[in-house]
Amino acid sequence: MSVTPAVMRRLMRELVELKKSPPEGVRVVTSEDNMLDVTGIIEGPEGTPYAGGYFRVKFKFTDEFPAAPPKCWLATKIFHPNVSTTGEICVNTLKKDWKSTYGIGHILVTVKCLLIYPNPESALDEEAGKLLLENYDDYCSRAKLITSVHATPRTRPAEFDTPPTASISTSTSVPATVLPPTTLSIPSTSSTRKSPVPPSQPLQSSPANTLPTSVSSLSNDKDNKERITSPSPLGTANANVGGGAGGMGPLPPNTTKAVKRSATSAGSTGAEKRKKALKRL
Amino acid sequence: MADASNLATKMDVDEAAIDEGLYSRQLYVLGHEAMKRMAVSNVLIVGVQGLGAEIAKNVVLAGVKSVTLYDPEPVTVQNLGTQFFLRQEDIGKSRAEATLPRLAELNAYVPVRLLPGQPGQSISVDLVKGYQVVVLCGVPYSKQLEINDWTHENGIPFIAAETRGLFGSVFNDFGPRFTCVDPTGEQPLSGMIVSVDKDQEGLVTCLDETRHGLEDGDFVTFTEVQGMEELNGCKPRKVTVKGPYTFTIGDTSGLSDYIRGGIFNQVKMPKIIEFKSLRESLNLPELFISDFAKFDRPATLHAGFQALSQFSDQNNRLPRARNTEDASTVVELAKKIDAEIDEKIVTELSYQAAGNISPIVAVIGGFVAQEVLKALSAKFHPVVQHLYFDSLESLPSTLPTEQECQLTGTRYDDQIAVFGKAFQNKIAAHRQFLVGSGAIGCEMLKNWSMMGLASGPDGIIHVTDLDTIEKSNLNRQFLFRPRDVGKFKAEVAAAAVAEMNPDLKGHIVSKQEPVGQATENVYDDTFFAGIDGVTNALDNVTARLYMDQRCVLYKKPLLESGTLGTKGNTQVIVPHLTESYASSQDPPEKQTPSCTIKNFPNAITHTIEWSRQEFDALFVKPAESVNQYLSEPNFLESTLKYSGQQTEQVEQIVSYLVTNKPLSFEECIIWARLQFEEKYNNSIRQLLFSLPKDSLTNTGQPFWSGPKRAPDPLMFNSSDPIHLDFIIAAANLHAFNYGLRGETDPALFKKIADSVIVPEFTPKSGVRVQINDSEPAPGAGGNTDTDDLAEVTGKLPSPSSLAGYRLTPVDFEKDDDSNHHIDFITAASNLRAMNYSIPVADRHTTKQIAGKIIPAIATTTSLVTGLVCLELYKIIDGKNKLEDFKNGFVNLALPFFGFSEPVAAKKNKYGETEWTLWDRFEFNNDPTLKEFIQWFKVHFNYDVSMVSQGVSMLWSSFVGKKKSEERLPMKFSKLVEHVSKKPIPPHAKQLLTEVMVMDEDGEDVEVPFIVVRI
Repeated sequence: MSVTPAVMRRLMRELVELKKSPPEGVRVVTSEDNMLDVTGIIEGPEGTPYAGGYFRVKFKFTDEFPAAPPKCWLATKIFHPNVSTTGEICVNTLKKDWKSTYGIGHILVTVKCLLIYPNPESALDEEAGKLLLENYDDYCSRAKLITSVHATPRTRPAEFDTPPTASISTSTSVPATVLPPTTLSIPSTSSTRKSPVPPSQPLQSSPANTLPTSVSSLSNDKDNKERITSPSPLGTANANVGGGAGGMGPLPPNTTKAVKRSATSAGSTGAEKRKKALKRL
Repeated sequence: MADASNLATKMDVDEAAIDEGLYSRQLYVLGHEAMKRMAVSNVLIVGVQGLGAEIAKNVVLAGVKSVTLYDPEPVTVQNLGTQFFLRQEDIGKSRAEATLPRLAELNAYVPVRLLPGQPGQSISVDLVKGYQVVVLCGVPYSKQLEINDWTHENGIPFIAAETRGLFGSVFNDFGPRFTCVDPTGEQPLSGMIVSVDKDQEGLVTCLDETRHGLEDGDFVTFTEVQGMEELNGCKPRKVTVKGPYTFTIGDTSGLSDYIRGGIFNQVKMPKIIEFKSLRESLNLPELFISDFAKFDRPATLHAGFQALSQFSDQNNRLPRARNTEDASTVVELAKKIDAEIDEKIVTELSYQAAGNISPIVAVIGGFVAQEVLKALSAKFHPVVQHLYFDSLESLPSTLPTEQECQLTGTRYDDQIAVFGKAFQNKIAAHRQFLVGSGAIGCEMLKNWSMMGLASGPDGIIHVTDLDTIEKSNLNRQFLFRPRDVGKFKAEVAAAAVAEMNPDLKGHIVSKQEPVGQATENVYDDTFFAGIDGVTNALDNVTARLYMDQRCVLYKKPLLESGTLGTKGNTQVIVPHLTESYASSQDPPEKQTPSCTIKNFPNAITHTIEWSRQEFDALFVKPAESVNQYLSEPNFLESTLKYSGQQTEQVEQIVSYLVTNKPLSFEECIIWARLQFEEKYNNSIRQLLFSLPKDSLTNTGQPFWSGPKRAPDPLMFNSSDPIHLDFIIAAANLHAFNYGLRGETDPALFKKIADSVIVPEFTPKSGVRVQINDSEPAPGAGGNTDTDDLAEVTGKLPSPSSLAGYRLTPVDFEKDDDSNHHIDFITAASNLRAMNYSIPVADRHTTKQIAGKIIPAIATTTSLVTGLVCLELYKIIDGKNKLEDFKNGFVNLALPFFGFSEPVAAKKNKYGETEWTLWDRFEFNNDPTLKEFIQWFKVHFNYDVSMVSQGVSMLWSSFVGKKKSEERLPMKFSKLVEHVSKKPIPPHAKQLLTEVMVMDEDGEDVEVPFIVVRI
């Protein structure tokens, strides 16, 4: 299919940028004879059951791009509540919350975030969703197993040999946690929420209790969302997403109810589970 | 519909079914109710010159009980310039009589009758009795008053319309109390709510951030509210909007406590409109604004049109074209009516009054026809009460003299009276390319043939359309007749308009090649050098974007338009002046997240989308995979290997080709019955096993709440028609895959389906990552170990053992009512809706959503096409200022007209040079890549960081040294072939190239695209 020159131009710019300074843990593979054939590779984030794996994300651009999102699916098998067995990914960013300013990099970072914050509430693989809700350890070991069978190459992809030139200094502190089911209220994927990616605060560091406090403090800021900026390491990803400040950082206005819910519960079971999970990992 | 007095007589609705095949697209605009009311109504149209014919055409196409014509005056040669039903040989015959047979051909359901009269005999009150709406075209005000006095008193809708040159006028009087049942035509809104306060002014809050979209004064009722159950099915409550997510609904203090859930549903309330009589309205007019840039004009034209009528009453003729003496008389008359008038406008009105032109006739005719339908159906808001429209900007910049506007005794006399002979010659010499010959295309060609576009020695019209004519086209593509079904659209349309105006013979060329990269050998440099402009009459964005790109490359003006139900828009694109079509696009519809479709549907659109996917997964893709396996050598090794779904695909092929291959139709029924079990029982039970109804999220909230509706499995019941419909459609489509003959006798299906022994289902838990294991469709999980794969592959017969054997994939076709496609999608979607307690949708509604059918009606098309042709006059004239052109937006339902200047082409800058999308760099003589890159360095000190051509990345700064050294010395043409791995087609003389460059500071600089001639 043909793509308009304007779209081609945009893709060129984005691909050059992604080659030059890719977001942390994300690379793109391009094809010279068809620039529309783009594959992203996401390094399984450390501290998640996906660590050690490399996940390939395929893109298909329609002639409505960038007004409409590209089609996008995981070509590597994964055990994840928001990824179907056929590789479909359930993220609002790729559907109803798409904005024409988003691009390949934004999508890849969003999917990477999804590996860190699975969301059982919008389960595509309800088996994985169920496990994540009910038995976090089982979920983890299953996900690790699938990762080791299907996503772990003998040598890591050559794309990761060259460090990103514009790599951002904070890379060491990037995701150290798998978020247990307490993430239910995090607006990453649920069909009723708008944020394309999770808020960045939980990523600041591993201690479990940062999530509830930071989220609930935000809840009062409902009407001033533009003021909330992203101070966290995920800001590195943000910087590469092209959308700039609006792209990733701010927690969107959320219903107070939902935030309260997470605030009350995350302290107990969630924290324990997470500690356990961290030990195992 | 409480007070529907004007509807009372029409409510004895004839139950005769509406021909959904013919009216399909229009039904999605008007709905069944409105069309049933139209089907019992008789329409009288008085005056069948161009305007009357245009109105009659649209009303006949729309479908009413009958249309009666009154116009005993003889046909003149001038009438041929707008009245597309008349031919040279009709001159001298009664206009109504000559029109009747050709009009009647348009719609077999609508009888067209003649109201007899003698030449010179004007219409009278006793003649207009017995009709449900009376339309007067070009009738003097004195006569209009006489007729309207009677219709107003009797509550009969009355419309008077008139076109004069570039001006048009419409007056509506639907009686003192007219009930409009649906003022906007928009779908009623609905949405989920999360709280209702108990209060004097009960506040309703919507789920999360879903905007309710309601406005003050709207009415709503509720369903599924828990707790405050009094709201469920309550009498419509009036809404006051408090915010985008909240509204109040009056006193709720006496109701029960709200617990959770609930859906608000907007209720459309009828509106009573009190029309003034014409007599009253002439003195105290309510003027509709058709162009906000011409705020004062309606008042001037209100007086001007009356003055014209007085002039012709007094002189027994219209003012002469561009005659100053007559014009000053008209101005004087107008000033007596309204001293404030703009004399220049009235002078122009007088100058042009003698001429009717086709584009204005199309605009006013399309508009009035919709008003007729509003009067009959009470659907959409009628105009209150006077509409005046003009397109004075379409006059050529060099105005004609009186001498140039004299009658010449040809069919173009009327147009010459407005534009002059010299401009008529320009019209005749014009060369246009019409892309598409559907609804807009037919109307366009009609207008062009009336205008005499391309009728001169140098003129040419190219028209292309790859489509053939289908029944559902006949409802608005009025150049086509039932006997043309199956023929090529462009061919039939070209022949039809050449018959309308024989001057076009030899000046209109029809083609079947669609525009696109594959046909650039047809629509090549030479082709574009031979045209002056392009008119799009397309129905898809892809082709629009493509033509836009071509017009930018060849610097041709492009006229763009589109319709959606009663809405329409036009855009004019002029080289070096305006932005192009691609510069601004409408945001596409928001998509639904896939987990909503797969597990958590909450609206019928979700179940329809699911069901449409099931259709492909069951009847299209597996058969295609089987055929690929049988026909493509190494299919398993090559294609499948990279799909990431190898084992699943192979399992599916085994299932369709070996294990589950039916040998009889009975086996297809059994298969269908098991599919039912799988989709509507087992998989739902599996989902509920994983996520039980009482499961909680870790925050302690019920998992199944808010937009997540907990499903229930369905038990098969062959007596439930929806259950059986599914079995019938699924079995027949499965049989189709295998070339087995289908059946439709429900008894057979019932008998076999009831006898099927369905294996007991136990939900799976544990290790396997899959939804279920008996489903052959893709997505059925499985182990991907290579051993497994080998084992499955071992079950496949070798392709050679089945030489020539193929399955037949189903090719989705929404408009064939006997093929079971929409039947399957409707049944499958409704069963799933029943799983999730979502209200089911009828076949008609399902068909629109599943088939992505764009609602369409002839009235809008006619109007929009008229607007386009008004811009075409300007293009032919060679206008070159932004303010000369207009983009239009209309919605006939409200009604609404909006016009704006086109947006200027955006100015960019490299260095000190300004450029727009219309600029480019040109390289001749096929330079080498090195020369190409150096050129940017030498001229601008820019470093090239990427070069691309089409979808090929020819070179980039990260390409690697070796490749770089290999490519730099290559000639451009060679490089393109090298990277794309494809030869450049022989017709390609220029390569469109894009570069990214950086200035000395390493900053990206945007530069124009590049044309490399090879």
